[in-house]
Amino acid sequence: MHLLEVENLTKRFGGLTAVKNVSFNIDEGEMVGLIGPNGAGKTTLFNLISGFLEPDSGTVKFEGENIMGLAPHKIVNKGIARTFQVVRPFRHLPVIANVMVALKSPRGARKIEWLKTMERKAADLLEDVGISELALEPAENVGHGTLKRLEMAKALATEPDLLMLDEPFGGLNPLETDFLTKSIMRMHLDEPSRGIFIVEHKLYALMQIVQRVIVLHQGEKIAEGTPEEIAKNKTVIEVYMGKGI
Amino acid sequence: MVKNYLRRAYSSFAAHVFDIPPRLMSFLFLLILLIIPFIGLGQYYLSIMIYANVLAIFAASWDLLVGRTGQISLGHAIFFGIGGYSTALLFKFLGLPPWITIPIALLVGSSAALLIGFPCLRVKGPYLALVTMAFPIIMHSIVKWSPLSHIFGGEFGIRRLPAFFAFLPIRQQRIAEYYLTLILLFIASVIIYKIANSKTGIVFVSILDDEVASKACGINVTKYKLMSFIVSGLFGTLAGCLQAHLLKVSNPPMFELFWSFAPIIVTFLGGIGTIYGPLVGAYIYYILDKYFLTIQLPKLCEYFGVALPDEFEYAKLLIFALIVLILVIKWPRGIARFITDKLEDLEEARDFDERGPRIWKRYEKNDK
Repeated sequence: MHLLEVENLTKRFGGLTAVKNVSFNIDEGEMVGLIGPNGAGKTTLFNLISGFLEPDSGTVKFEGENIMGLAPHKIVNKGIARTFQVVRPFRHLPVIANVMVALKSPRGARKIEWLKTMERKAADLLEDVGISELALEPAENVGHGTLKRLEMAKALATEPDLLMLDEPFGGLNPLETDFLTKSIMRMHLDEPSRGIFIVEHKLYALMQIVQRVIVLHQGEKIAEGTPEEIAKNKTVIEVYMGKGI
Repeated sequence: MVKNYLRRAYSSFAAHVFDIPPRLMSFLFLLILLIIPFIGLGQYYLSIMIYANVLAIFAASWDLLVGRTGQISLGHAIFFGIGGYSTALLFKFLGLPPWITIPIALLVGSSAALLIGFPCLRVKGPYLALVTMAFPIIMHSIVKWSPLSHIFGGEFGIRRLPAFFAFLPIRQQRIAEYYLTLILLFIASVIIYKIANSKTGIVFVSILDDEVASKACGINVTKYKLMSFIVSGLFGTLAGCLQAHLLKVSNPPMFELFWSFAPIIVTFLGGIGTIYGPLVGAYIYYILDKYFLTIQLPKLCEYFGVALPDEFEYAKLLIFALIVLILVIKWPRGIARFITDKLEDLEEARDFDERGPRIWKRYEKNDK
């Protein structure tokens, strides 16, 4: 049984088919990348899996259970956490309280160990992503790099079985990218059974960490394979660079 | 042993109840409010303070719903009226005293909040504001014009409600009513403040900031919105009950637009999203309205030989609209927060003079 099974997923916006018959699987402990040019339907695919959009046809199964049509918060409590491409912090709250919101959800609250308070747990999560010194700062005052990491801490707070990261490196400088790559790797080692699904444009950073890559183009899956295979794939190069190279 | 237990109980009470941020300020504020009946104010001014207490409860409940949860309600009068009418109807048909009718009215009010909240929370932002605005208008016509209106006493409402302290002489009655409303205000605002600053309150603010992101955190947004609606409705109903028994009448104006907009004016005066702001705002509002505009302004006009037109009564809300407009531009965070910010700055400056900024002091404390 796969962790996540996506079968023939289709989503239309009026006349435009954003996602067309996409099928793929993610296994436990696998790190999978999703790439594709702008407008390929990557974020739409994310929204379909996490329940923010309703697909027109197709099925999404998580741990053998059909999760299609469930409300987003129910899907999170089943074990799929996601981050957003554009950061969505709670600006009135301090950084640590942002994480506590996720710990207040049924799944986040379930995982709090005995005698470990919510505050302690939230501080540990901030420590994991490396922003614990900004814990008491209001979220509206901290920088973009911190917010990107905060997004990740919020997603990790629900202890997901499948973590979906939407452009985690977007808008980060090389140093921050390097740091985040390392924390993703460490996260992967800490929890080997957790699947990770990453959408990313910075192919160099992505190819270093993932085991398998899925390529979308105009809503269709055009290739799937290891990073080396994808880098040599003719269709993928054509899609990215144009014909005749 | 008993003494020890009492001390522990007191310290836990103090830790939970007196943990209000500008501590000195709120303490002084409370002290002033406590001695007000003994500084020789007339009946009229004491009445103003009583109604200010009621409005403060009402506005604080509005602030929890709008300032903290972000569910804009322009129809909070619905709870005010439901409170007034349920306690009045229970008295009219069953003859129960206020001590029994008010708790029942609170139950009615919170279930009404649940019923109203369910369809309301399907819509967002300005649409929610419009939908909530419709409810008191509907109720207003039901109690005033509809075929059912004879139950509600029609245009004149239900009159001759019992006073809270009918057995006391009139002057003592006012003082007792003042303390009753003050105690209820204290209890209500502490409960609302505690809820707003609990972990549930954090979730409320997350809904205000970004509903989609709180869904992505696994929060059942509808549940929390309803919780906020119910708590807010409960205390709104309490204010309505008090008002009905203080005026000894429940009439259709309780559902009028004024009671939907009064908490908004008051909250913006004091500072939205603070919970303690509306309390300050309520007193400022009543002092401005009932002292300056009702007593001082006619005197001033008389002095200059100008006659105030009779329609001036209706223009008062316009003046408040102007005041709120100026405030929003000048102090968008409200008067109460403006003062507390200044106090905090002073404190910070003093700390800095003594031994560096506050953050260093915290580390020193940890070392010990």
